[in-house]
Amino acid sequence: MRTPPWLTLLDDTIAACITHHRTDLAGKLERRRALLLDPRMRVPVIGELNQGKSQLVNALVNAPVCAVGDDITTVTPTAVEHAEVPAAALVTSAPTSGRRAIGPADAEPAREPVPVEDVAGQALATRRHDVHAEVGLPRDLLSGGLVLIDTPGLGGVGSLRTAATFALLSNADAVLMISDATCELCASELELLKKVAAVCPAVTVVLTKIDMVPRWRGVAERNRARLAAAGVAAKVIPVSASVRLAAARAGDQELNEESGFVDLVRCLRQDVVAQNDVLASRSAAAAAATATEQLLTPLHEQLAEAKGGKLGKAHVQYRAAQHRLDELRRRSSRWQTMLGDEVTDLLSDVEYDLRDRTRKIVRIAEEFFDVADPARSWDEFEYWLCDCLAETAEINFSWLIERFQWLSTKIAKQVALDEAVPDAADAGDLLDHIGDLTPPRIEKFSVGQQLFVGLRGSYGGLLMFGLATTLAGLPLINPISLGAGAAFGAKTIWDERGSRLKRRQATAKTAAQRHVDDFFLSYGKESRDTARLIQRRLRDHFSSVVDKLQAGIAERATEAKRAAEADLADRRRRSQEIALELERLAGLRKRTQALVTPNVRRRGLTA
Amino acid sequence: MTELAERARAMLLDALELYRDSPRATNWLRRHVDRLAEPLRLAVAGLPRTGRSTLVNSLVGEEIAPLLVEERGVLAWYRGAAAPRAQVYPAQAPPRDVPVARVDGRLHIDLEDWRAEDLDRIVLDWPSRALRRLTLIDAPAIGAQAPEPATSTSDAAADVASRISLDADAVVYLMNSLHSTDLGFLQSIQDHPIARETPVNTIVVLSRADEVGGGRIDALTSAKQIARRYRTDAGLRGLCQNVIAVSGLLAHAGRTLTADEAAALAALAELPRRELESCLVSADRFAGGGVPVRLDGRTRAALLDRFGMFGVRLATTLIRQGYTESAALSAELVARSGLAELRESIQQCFIDRHDVLKARSAVLALEVVLRMEPRPEARRLVTGLEQLVVSAHEFRELRLLAALHGGRTELPDPLADEARRLVGGDGTALPARLGFEHEPTGAELHSAIAVALRRWQEQAENHALGATQRRAARVVVRSCEGMAARLVRR
Repeated sequence: MRTPPWLTLLDDTIAACITHHRTDLAGKLERRRALLLDPRMRVPVIGELNQGKSQLVNALVNAPVCAVGDDITTVTPTAVEHAEVPAAALVTSAPTSGRRAIGPADAEPAREPVPVEDVAGQALATRRHDVHAEVGLPRDLLSGGLVLIDTPGLGGVGSLRTAATFALLSNADAVLMISDATCELCASELELLKKVAAVCPAVTVVLTKIDMVPRWRGVAERNRARLAAAGVAAKVIPVSASVRLAAARAGDQELNEESGFVDLVRCLRQDVVAQNDVLASRSAAAAAATATEQLLTPLHEQLAEAKGGKLGKAHVQYRAAQHRLDELRRRSSRWQTMLGDEVTDLLSDVEYDLRDRTRKIVRIAEEFFDVADPARSWDEFEYWLCDCLAETAEINFSWLIERFQWLSTKIAKQVALDEAVPDAADAGDLLDHIGDLTPPRIEKFSVGQQLFVGLRGSYGGLLMFGLATTLAGLPLINPISLGAGAAFGAKTIWDERGSRLKRRQATAKTAAQRHVDDFFLSYGKESRDTARLIQRRLRDHFSSVVDKLQAGIAERATEAKRAAEADLADRRRRSQEIALELERLAGLRKRTQALVTPNVRRRGLTA
Repeated sequence: MTELAERARAMLLDALELYRDSPRATNWLRRHVDRLAEPLRLAVAGLPRTGRSTLVNSLVGEEIAPLLVEERGVLAWYRGAAAPRAQVYPAQAPPRDVPVARVDGRLHIDLEDWRAEDLDRIVLDWPSRALRRLTLIDAPAIGAQAPEPATSTSDAAADVASRISLDADAVVYLMNSLHSTDLGFLQSIQDHPIARETPVNTIVVLSRADEVGGGRIDALTSAKQIARRYRTDAGLRGLCQNVIAVSGLLAHAGRTLTADEAAALAALAELPRRELESCLVSADRFAGGGVPVRLDGRTRAALLDRFGMFGVRLATTLIRQGYTESAALSAELVARSGLAELRESIQQCFIDRHDVLKARSAVLALEVVLRMEPRPEARRLVTGLEQLVVSAHEFRELRLLAALHGGRTELPDPLADEARRLVGGDGTALPARLGFEHEPTGAELHSAIAVALRRWQEQAENHALGATQRRAARVVVRSCEGMAARLVRR
């Protein structure tokens, strides 16, 4: 016997699943394979609450095997299959513990036989979700291997039963979806149908309870239209279970005809039992397609990632390192110019400040000596001047240091490094530059000199007035001329003393000025030198820091580059691998599709 | 108006004064002030095809619903008035009158050029006794087939729920069987902090009760049992006051039974039992040609439309049992349909508590304004609102009732029933509270109140009970005192 193509496809898909480490998918497919190979056809009867599912199964097999009630009734699935003698059992499925192994479960489920008449009541009585009922009945319809499974209603409160129903669906060969004729298919039912059609393509919608609804034909038409609009290819078969049961009781063939069950049975025979192989291949295709899709999705994602939609970590690091290196280079050229500029500015500022301060001192000194006599107040002045100069030097120097500190932080920020800033130069021997003030030479105005100057002045006066008075007949030396002589003498002494004071003051001023000039020169020189020294030290410090940094970053960049290259190669290799894998899976998918749509044209050609 | 309603009204007027510069708030508040004086608004909601319009018709007793066939998203209001009149309320324009006429026994409203999407609601004024104390709101179906697929079922449901919780004072919710969508909806209409505390404005109707069990002759009995089971369902108990099985179709057909229909049914009932049964096996058979009775096909189809299979079966059985008079048959059909129970429950749970429910709606509306537009000056109102909600005895009764109903407060067995009754669980009239079956005399009332008061005062101090239980007992004591005061005033 030839292996059917769907079986090879399923095996290949299982193999692919195992290759991709998806043992869960493989296990699912294995179970599906086993069920598909099973000659029995599993047909779950599903639908929302109170649509008449159990009644439909009862009417199909014409026996009360499923519990029927007006409220929510069915709690456990009931499987009805063919048997020579009527038999029934409640089956408790074995608890699944740990990871499920691939292949058939080794634990045997517990079976508890019950009489066929009681199975409905007993199934109702067990309120456990891991129990299901199995019923065997000698029925013509079931003899082809058909297994009807009555399920609890969907859409109720409590998701456990819903989950159980979906688990049944994944193992179904065909599905009967039940909807009663009092309502058209609602949104949730259509949603459910779409889901079911994806898992198991052979779906038939059964419209029940048509005996109650006068206008069921319109409902059926609208349901067909809705199914077509939703893209679900499913037949709609209107039936009435109560009419069928009434017909069975009365043995009325005509009534049975009216119940719609003849159509349903024909449909089950023709589309399900007779089409076992086609259905199996469709189901296998659906299962394989779902599995392949699940394998493909992560692969596509991986491929997209490998193709470099997103850069690798190594590459990102390399880029960052290179960027940092460039930045550092750009900054280092900038900071050197900045240092030069700033120091020039600083020097001129400091010099201006110094000049300004010394000029002020000189001006004050001059004003002082305009009034004061150096002979008397020199000591006091000297003390003041030294003080002033020392203060000036201190302020100016500290200002210089502050400026340098500010500058170095600025540069450090510019280089963007958390490196230490070198200490500013020490204050040094500031006060040395003030030196000793050379006191001005002060001429003494001695008594002899005063006498002499007085005599010189008085002589002129005496002579002038003596001659004048001789005209009046008085002798040359007379009291008047003597008085005038004395007055003139005194005046001359007074004048001499004043001019001497002026001279002394001028000398003192010059001395002070010279001293300040000296200080300015020597201190200015020292300050400039200090500034240059600091500049040089800063430059050396920062260049060494930058060098060190650059070396470090460059090293990191090379490392990152190497890693990025390796990563790129790896990606290329991986994307090739994935592409190969994808191609293989695409082949599998193509085969799946070919299985679903048999190639008509080829058949035409061979004919 | 009771003191509670007066207080709510005063607070709304205060808020109106405070928010006079906000047109939105003013509009909203004014609507709610007017609403306080209006009849109680009862919304009828449910999934599609649960029989909302049929129930509205059977409550009114006339065929007035649906106003629009298969239009979605429009609320239809049925208001009592002296003369019929239809108005459309567009969302963006003032309301306007539209012509209304009866075509084939159905009301037809000419929407002129309004599209249903642009309409906020349609209001039909109709002269009816049933509408005198109730305004019915036929809400759009929850999760009806949306024209655009983007709107999912839950969105549409949330939309309907929010409309209902804003517009309606009370809700009758229809369902076939408890679906998860139904539970979600019932929860979402109480989605408000104050509403959640007092979920006391919902009655669930197990609709289309005649279709239970495939329309068997005992379908309604079975449906009543299912309703009884739902009444004790843990998920549903805290969300509704009562669950009642109603067959709207039967009720409506019964209330509006015509002589022709009665005659046709009587003709059917005269058939031999076996023959009648065989032609009532299915709708097809009944409407088809093989019926051995002189009724033409159109009459039979019309009977099916009006009564349904179950209705025809029940009516013929009843005629056989002796309800041959048209009036007797009509009364029996209505009695069996569960409509009377529903009306009684509406009376007891909603109309008797009209003032409290109105005040509750007003408080909810005020809370919305205070929350959406908070202002420092409104501080006083917020406190006042809180005080009203916490302290008003009517609200405390409602909360206790809800707690007893939802199982949050549990009292020992004989006490729980009595507490429920005394705080108005069976109706707020004095005899109902005190559990009198007959009309009691003044002396009887006096002694009953005195006994209850003494018993519950004891319970309030009973240290065998927990703190919540004693608090519940204090509420009952206060109710008894209120009853005594009412008796004295009388």
